Amino acid sequence: MDFKTIIYVLLAIILSPILGGLLAGIDRRLTAWCQGRFGPPILQPFYDVIKLLGKERLIVNYWQIFCVHIYLISSVLCVALFAMQADLLMIFFVMTVGAVFMVVGALSVPSPYSQLGAQRELIQMLTYEPLLIIVFVGIYFVTGSFKIDAILAYDRPIFLLLPLLYVVLTFALTIKLRKSPFDISASHHAHQELARGVLTEYSGPYLAILEIAHWYDIVLILAICSLFWSTSLVGMAALLAITYMAEILIDNVTPRMTWRWMLAYVWGVGIGLSFFNVALLYARSF
Amino acid sequence: MLVPQMVGISIVLPFFAAALCLINVTTLRSMLVLGTSVVVSVASLFLVQSEAFSFTPEYLFGIPADGLIAILDFALLFVILGISYRLKNKLIAALTLLQLVPLALLELFMHPGEGAGPTLYGDQFSMIMCVIISIIGSLICVYGLAYMKEHEHHLKLAQSKQGRFFFYMVLFLGAMNGLVFSNNLLWLYFFWEVTTLCSFMLIKHDETEVAITNATRALWMNMLGGVAFVMAMIMIRAKGMPLSLQEIIVADNASALLLLPIGLLCFAGFTKAAQLPFQSWLCGAMVAPTPVSALLHSSTMVKAGVYLVIRLAPAYAGTVFSNYVALFGAFTFLAAAVLALSQSNGKKILAYSTISNLGMIVACAGINTPAAMAAAILLIVFHAISKALMFLCVGTIEQKIGSRDIEDMRGLIRIMPKTTMVAVIGIVTMFLPPFGALLSKWMAVEASAQLPLVVLMLAVGSALTMVFWGRWLGMLMTSTLHQVNLQAEEQSSLIRVPLLFLAAAAVLMSFVAPGLYTSMVLPVLERLYSTDLYVAALGVISNNVGMFALYPIFVIFTLGVIWAARASSSKRVSTRAYSTPYVCGLQDPSDNQRLGFNGPLGQWAEFTSTNYYMENLIGEGRISTWVNVVALGILVILLAGVL
Repeated sequence: MDFKTIIYVLLAIILSPILGGLLAGIDRRLTAWCQGRFGPPILQPFYDVIKLLGKERLIVNYWQIFCVHIYLISSVLCVALFAMQADLLMIFFVMTVGAVFMVVGALSVPSPYSQLGAQRELIQMLTYEPLLIIVFVGIYFVTGSFKIDAILAYDRPIFLLLPLLYVVLTFALTIKLRKSPFDISASHHAHQELARGVLTEYSGPYLAILEIAHWYDIVLILAICSLFWSTSLVGMAALLAITYMAEILIDNVTPRMTWRWMLAYVWGVGIGLSFFNVALLYARSF
Repeated sequence: MLVPQMVGISIVLPFFAAALCLINVTTLRSMLVLGTSVVVSVASLFLVQSEAFSFTPEYLFGIPADGLIAILDFALLFVILGISYRLKNKLIAALTLLQLVPLALLELFMHPGEGAGPTLYGDQFSMIMCVIISIIGSLICVYGLAYMKEHEHHLKLAQSKQGRFFFYMVLFLGAMNGLVFSNNLLWLYFFWEVTTLCSFMLIKHDETEVAITNATRALWMNMLGGVAFVMAMIMIRAKGMPLSLQEIIVADNASALLLLPIGLLCFAGFTKAAQLPFQSWLCGAMVAPTPVSALLHSSTMVKAGVYLVIRLAPAYAGTVFSNYVALFGAFTFLAAAVLALSQSNGKKILAYSTISNLGMIVACAGINTPAAMAAAILLIVFHAISKALMFLCVGTIEQKIGSRDIEDMRGLIRIMPKTTMVAVIGIVTMFLPPFGALLSKWMAVEASAQLPLVVLMLAVGSALTMVFWGRWLGMLMTSTLHQVNLQAEEQSSLIRVPLLFLAAAAVLMSFVAPGLYTSMVLPVLERLYSTDLYVAALGVISNNVGMFALYPIFVIFTLGVIWAARASSSKRVSTRAYSTPYVCGLQDPSDNQRLGFNGPLGQWAEFTSTNYYMENLIGEGRISTWVNVVALGILVILLAGVL
């Protein structure tokens, strides 16, 4: 590993939570604006996390603490591996570790809300994981590599070749962002039937750790999105901005749906779009 | 390195030790099993260090070796014929005759020894198999010593049947070792059929009605494979080719003319590896005592099937047949993962997960690139270790809590803390990075990227795998600090040592995976391929399309686990932090540790939570027929293509 890579990795580890937190703040403001409210200050997510970190610790068992730490480690590691321009599929599998341990932490508590949330979270993972693998395979189809350095070396924006796969990727992004219609395992509004779902039993500093890990995850997924227009910074920024605006819009105009609908819809549409896109690629090579 | 002697020990010694086990004396049996285990394991470790070898034993105990095998072959088939008579099963009788008559023709009129080359051949692939069989198989036998004592105690048998039980268990190891070192197809066939007979005997060991039914099914399905095997040998001879595995897979000979016998041999492999639509025999096999399931699922039997399919892979490389094999394996991977998701019976989950993993191995053989072959061989190793561990854990848990249902394992950490921790290691090494099974899966997915349908099935299947392992992992931990009552767990060292050994092996072998790849897998691949090979350097495994930074991830996760364990240790969390689950403030006012809600009018309401098994959607009864039809369809196309 050379000096430049180390700098990249350090920058990614330090900047990701800041970026993720800011994004969450902007997200809340825009959502408020959509709903005709004023909304909290943009730095509110940071205030929340700082406050949570200082709160009293409450646990039902030790596994919860163990699991949030593993989740954080895996999220940070994913971002670091991305900065090292490693293998996309490998990063994906490392991300699974964190996702699984968050579920394990929730399952370890005999509480109806966290159990239900954990089961639904598993279904959410079941929904987006195959799609992410397919997206990476699509990228490999175009660029001939799973390695990020080789993907970045590709001389055209891969979005132009894989527009439909990008849509598939945004499904995964929506699920990961816990946005409607896919916020079925942990709604942002805790007054519903599953309380806070998979997050119900986490509080204080442990909830803060989860929040920070979540910021890392969001930055990672957006970074993967950015690979689709890696040739110019302007293009990249425009793509990400449009994507995120679309996420907020969809969040505000759709209700929460059931897991059955999510699984059927996302797999059906996602796999369909993927095959169509791959077919288009084949057609291009005639 | 005394190769012939070591090979001799690993094949012949179990046969003799097995025969002595028939003398039904406990002490003698324990010593025999332990002694054989140690000797065979050491022999396998010696073998690993040697180069690829081939030799022909002319005489075994003064009898011409080929003749001896031929006689034993017929003896074995007559034994099975006798069994079919006793079971009054015409199908098995017919399948036996379909092997007996062609085999007699082959032996008498087709000069089976002509140009057959060396009888025994071993390269690093055989050696890895031998180590898995000898060490993991032995550990399972040792575990069986303690397990069977408890098992028979439970059944209150008047006369112990352990003599016969260990006869077949130990014989199994010898037969498997013979199988992986055989180059002569007749020898391979003999050992192949010995494993069929052993598995039948072991599955029906408890002699209950369901045991006999399931054993019969296992027998006829495997005999079907046996028929295909004999037919393949006849065709090979009819084309004037020698009955030598190495001759068949040498590229020049693998013309389209030979594809049919190769297809039949692969078919035999599919039946033995319980690929769909033959999965029912392996699922049925779990009625047998747990050591049998562990042996069949991890190191022996099913691995014989995939061994043959992988061995033959170079012979069908680049054919359409190969693509269909990939599709067939991937479909088994996906369908078995779906079925595993619908199960709450722990052993059945393990069974379907085995079938699923074998499907992935077969798919890799079909993808037939250096990366896929590396994935296949590594997956055999890592799956064997973790699956043996999981079966032994479930067996141990079952003997304690009296159930193998995972819903009954909620909060097991309170009852069996040590075994649960071992099971956690088993589960985690099965499906998460940085462990070997996941490394192989990563290789497999990257290798399959050229085949859209295959990669789609692998992607969906791997997500399903994550769900059923992940929830099992979480359920084991379900407990509150107020309930936690970590009692010391009493356990025989014959049970504990194999468990701990396998758990340590699962972690350590994953850590040495790059070395394992370079020393044991790469030499096999280099003999077949010259480009696109994975290279392992500094703990990073990479090729031209991908790279897996195993050591960095391993080190960071190890540090992470230490950090997380420190943060969550009871010393660092004061008892003031102990809380109860959130129930909207409706807990029992007199006892806030009681789990449930204080409902309207003071009525107490308990809650239960179970996993989503989606039985009405993907239950065994609902989809088995359909997935079997699809699998059969792919199989028919696959074989029709080579006619």
